[in-house]
Amino acid sequence: MTKILMKPRIALIVMFVLLFSMAFYFDDVSTIYHGYIAILRSPSVLISDYLEIGGLGATLFNVATILLINVVMISYLKMKMSGPVFAGILTIAGFSFFGKNIFNTIPIYIGIYIYARMQSLDFKSFFIVVLFSTGISPIVSFMIFGVGWADWFGLSPFWNYWIGVPAGVVLGLITGFVLPAFGAHTIRFHKGYNLYNIGFALGVLSMLFSALLRSFHFIDLDQGGPTSEAFHSELLLLTIVLSLVFIAIAYVNDLQVHKKYWSLMKSSGRLVSDYIRDYGRSVSMLNVGVLGIMCVIILWVLNFEINGPIMGGILTVMGFGSFGKHPRNCLPVMFGAYLAVVLTDHSFDGIGMMTALLFVTAVAPIAGRYGVLIGVLAGFIHVVITPLALVFQEGGFNLYNNGFAAGFVAALMIPFLEAITKNNGEEEEEQ
Amino acid sequence: MSKQEIKLLTKIIRELSLYMLMHGYRKFSLTTEYGQSETRFLLKVQGLEESLKNHIKEKVNREREIEVETYGWELVGDVDSHSELEILGLLVDYVEISEDGEDTVLTFVRKSMYKEKK
Repeated sequence: MTKILMKPRIALIVMFVLLFSMAFYFDDVSTIYHGYIAILRSPSVLISDYLEIGGLGATLFNVATILLINVVMISYLKMKMSGPVFAGILTIAGFSFFGKNIFNTIPIYIGIYIYARMQSLDFKSFFIVVLFSTGISPIVSFMIFGVGWADWFGLSPFWNYWIGVPAGVVLGLITGFVLPAFGAHTIRFHKGYNLYNIGFALGVLSMLFSALLRSFHFIDLDQGGPTSEAFHSELLLLTIVLSLVFIAIAYVNDLQVHKKYWSLMKSSGRLVSDYIRDYGRSVSMLNVGVLGIMCVIILWVLNFEINGPIMGGILTVMGFGSFGKHPRNCLPVMFGAYLAVVLTDHSFDGIGMMTALLFVTAVAPIAGRYGVLIGVLAGFIHVVITPLALVFQEGGFNLYNNGFAAGFVAALMIPFLEAITKNNGEEEEEQ
Repeated sequence: MSKQEIKLLTKIIRELSLYMLMHGYRKFSLTTEYGQSETRFLLKVQGLEESLKNHIKEKVNREREIEVETYGWELVGDVDSHSELEILGLLVDYVEISEDGEDTVLTFVRKSMYKEKK
């Protein structure tokens, strides 16, 4: 029995049941249906808070269905729930609060499938890329629902879909097709110190799409909308419950799990760190839960209210608890990000800086490897670079904007840090 | 053998060489034997410390994960730390360690998991 309970897959199924039940607890079927259609038909570019667009019930339904589809896909492909896979699933769930839905993710998956077939490789060998690839899914929705093809060609609105659907699907397929090779290449740019590597690769592609669309002078690329903080209490409760579920699963399996936690916290977290493989499921699940509680405390201290993007940030931080993040490497970069906001012209009034405080943990391995002070510096640089990164990706097609920024932070810092480290970078033994 | 597989094998050779040099071993030989079903890397080194043998065994004898391999293989051979071999462990199935007089012979085995293109 405990062997079943200890599986991360079970935690995800519990999460699905929780999200699905909450959706129908807070809203009736009709509200969820209409909200869900509104979500599917939104351009979904940064920042499209599905809580604002479709309401709480529909958003939770969207998250639950996306979660279920990916868990089923993992089971169908007979994949092991490794650390990166677990992180990918929670990241997808998180971004399903603001940008990902069943409609705009599928063409990208198919693009990767075609690439795998052409390379005579198993689709599942690219599954990490598959999971993180959907960060650029808004390009699909935008081409279908955001461009307004009929107006531009002077046709009836009927043509919006006849032109938009093929355009969106083809662009999604192309993105998926080029991503596996491109993602493997970009990892060298930051040497594995940006945990959102695919976010960086997608940022470069997004930059290309933005430039192409902007060159045609007919598309309004700034379509992000307001966020909704109306469901703060419900989402706070959800985060706390989920965190406790993960912690409980860790303790059900191993009552002494906390004694092994320090060995995980000594790791740098640099890619490719599979905590489930290296430290075991129990310690990883404890880390996931602790990171969730850590996020709740930070939000409470800074008096942030949870909306779609912040919920996405929390789930992403939690997910990477099995793939490179832990409080010891996250807190310094988060503190650096906080300092950058309070000491510069930035402020926490806008959603950008609030989410940056969570997504700055992409560069957590820098703190894990080079210590607290360098980590604080990395967090600081990340926050000042992030708004610039968004300028390059005008249109908001890359949901992992912070991953794009984090790539530059790591690429700026790591070569210098490696050069000046006297002992060639000897770090603490990890076990 | 695909171009990617060739690149990957050379990265493994690079990582093993770097690892030895960074740990202060100046005299070692590395032989590669490529076969259809597996590739073997034979690393012969004099006076290899017991702690290092254990470290290599621990890092390399973990289960191979193909999805992680395709994601992170470009990082192999980019060692900046004595305690690396993390990613190498994802690319190599197992290591056998034997003694030959004063020398230690480490045989790293990577099984072929990719289908060859016709």
